[in-house]
Amino acid sequence: MCKNEKPINFKPPRQKAALDDLDQYVNMAEGRMSRKVFWERDIYEQELEKIFARVWLFLGHVSQIPKAGDYVTTSMGEDDVLVVRQKDGAIKAFLNTCPHRGNRVCFSEVGNARGFICNYHGWSFGIDGALRGMHESGAYEASGFDKSQHGLHEVAQVDSYKGLIFGTLDPAAPPLKEYLGDFAWYLDTLLDMDGEGTEFIGGCVRSVMKCNWKFGAENFAGDVMHAGWTHDSGAKAMLGGAVPELDKCAGDSYHVNVNGHGWEFNLDKVGNSATFGDKEVRRYIHEIQPKVAERLGHTRSMMIGSISSATVFPNMSFLPGQNTFRVWQPRGPDEIELHTWTLVNKSAPEEIKERYRRGTMITFSPSGVFEMDDGENFEYSTRSNRGRVTREQDLFLGLGIGTRIEHPELPGNVFQGQINEANQRAYYQRWLDFMKAESWDELPQR
Amino acid sequence: MTITTEIAGRSAVDAATAYQLETFLKREARLLDTERYDDWLAMLADDIHYWMPSIESRRRANNGGATHLPGRMAYFDDFMEHLQKRVARFKQPTAWAEDPPTRHTHVISNVEAYAGEAEGEYLVYSTFVNYRSRVETDNDLLIGRRTDVIRATQDGLRLARRKIVITQTLLQAKNINTFL
Ligand code: FES
Ligand SMILES: [Fe+2]
Repeated sequence: MCKNEKPINFKPPRQKAALDDLDQYVNMAEGRMSRKVFWERDIYEQELEKIFARVWLFLGHVSQIPKAGDYVTTSMGEDDVLVVRQKDGAIKAFLNTCPHRGNRVCFSEVGNARGFICNYHGWSFGIDGALRGMHESGAYEASGFDKSQHGLHEVAQVDSYKGLIFGTLDPAAPPLKEYLGDFAWYLDTLLDMDGEGTEFIGGCVRSVMKCNWKFGAENFAGDVMHAGWTHDSGAKAMLGGAVPELDKCAGDSYHVNVNGHGWEFNLDKVGNSATFGDKEVRRYIHEIQPKVAERLGHTRSMMIGSISSATVFPNMSFLPGQNTFRVWQPRGPDEIELHTWTLVNKSAPEEIKERYRRGTMITFSPSGVFEMDDGENFEYSTRSNRGRVTREQDLFLGLGIGTRIEHPELPGNVFQGQINEANQRAYYQRWLDFMKAESWDELPQR
Repeated sequence: MTITTEIAGRSAVDAATAYQLETFLKREARLLDTERYDDWLAMLADDIHYWMPSIESRRRANNGGATHLPGRMAYFDDFMEHLQKRVARFKQPTAWAEDPPTRHTHVISNVEAYAGEAEGEYLVYSTFVNYRSRVETDNDLLIGRRTDVIRATQDGLRLARRKIVITQTLLQAKNINTFL
């Protein structure tokens, strides 16, 4: 080595994710987007701030916490939260962290408590989050400590829509009803078939996928196209045949979206319910459909069990009629926790609820014959992007550009044909809207 | 010197029976490792109940801290028909997540066998380590306990009940594409 030669600097200049020019990542008019939104750490950190710290996020179902003191723990983005039923029946949520030194306050997933006591120095909180007392309380009194200033940090707003509890960490967020907007009209086909409401079967299945959180959410927002291919083996096992080619009956099938929330469906009434290969469940759907038609009209009654899937922006998804219900919780740009439950009509016979519990488990759970093939797709759609050059190659999501229609009955943006990527485009457009908007006023209505 | 295997009033099975039961479980593990799923199904009784509950963490003050209860969400809660359907998926050429094949090892240990409640049935406890590998770096480790009822029939031993309890509340894997 020559003496005046400088040592080689192996550290390449840091790739700065150009957050000031987010438009470069998502071009929905052309149906293409950058892979970097599935990989770059800077973008992910912005998502936690611009999306998860602001929007209404699913926290649980009212049936999980019926009595005062009942609680569940969950998370909003990567912020751990504790959701607690109050004495007056209201629901509050708190960051699950002690205001003293920051230890986690509640270590169980679910239960009933008269209060929560921190393991570290013994601060104890009421179910309303107020600091009630401390171990060695004399020392605090001597320091002029004001207990009323040191309760659990409360989630800014908590509200529910027909049994589903949502919260937002942003005091400036518009009301939940406004956030759901016209999408509530569709949600009623799931939540309000007979006016008696819904409930979760007890328990939750939680698993880790090494994928970006948006892959699951966009898949449920609109990607029925993958069903016939990815899930061919599951369909053949459960139904003894392949998934029908859905494009052949596009006339009665749609993509609809409202402010990034997406629902793809046809009107075959029982297609999703049929995935259990259980004729009693199909019979149940056939039986209730006429009553749902009286309440919600014919069109929505044909959606209750049809081939369909949906996502409420940003990360809550479900399959109508099949009734798997899930949240894709972000854990870094390349990892999620998937939390799944089974949702049933409260009025359904016990035997039907049991069939749903077993049905969702054998189809859409980590051991399910359908879901088993999803994980690898989501993981490798994420992981491939570790390649520096790979990451520069845009992705295509232009299917169905130009299929938008006016529909006399269906609210929101309606697109003809279930085999479509309209909802995925709307989803990423909304993602871009939130990432760019400094305030709720800047957010366009979509 | 007499060796007694009586513990808390229950008698462990004799050495010859213990050997048969242990061999049964080892054979089962080998069949699963080598994807011989039809042969595996043939080791099950027609009235099999195969249960792997999802694990919840609760305070001891709530339900004694039980990590699982019947009738709640589970990974498996299967009778024969569902197990056959799972095997039917494994055998499809379009089971993409099985091609190239997943590489499995099931390790069975701590086998402890007693007379069962019904005549000709044995209550058999065991622990397992399941290691699965796919692609270059997907390695999933599951460890847990099993409680089985194994029945002696004219055609040999058959698995009639299995309960599988793992240690994880948050499954550290994207799927469970095997039996445990
Ligand atoms: S950290 Fe909770 S009491 Fe100190
Ligand atoms: Fe899927």
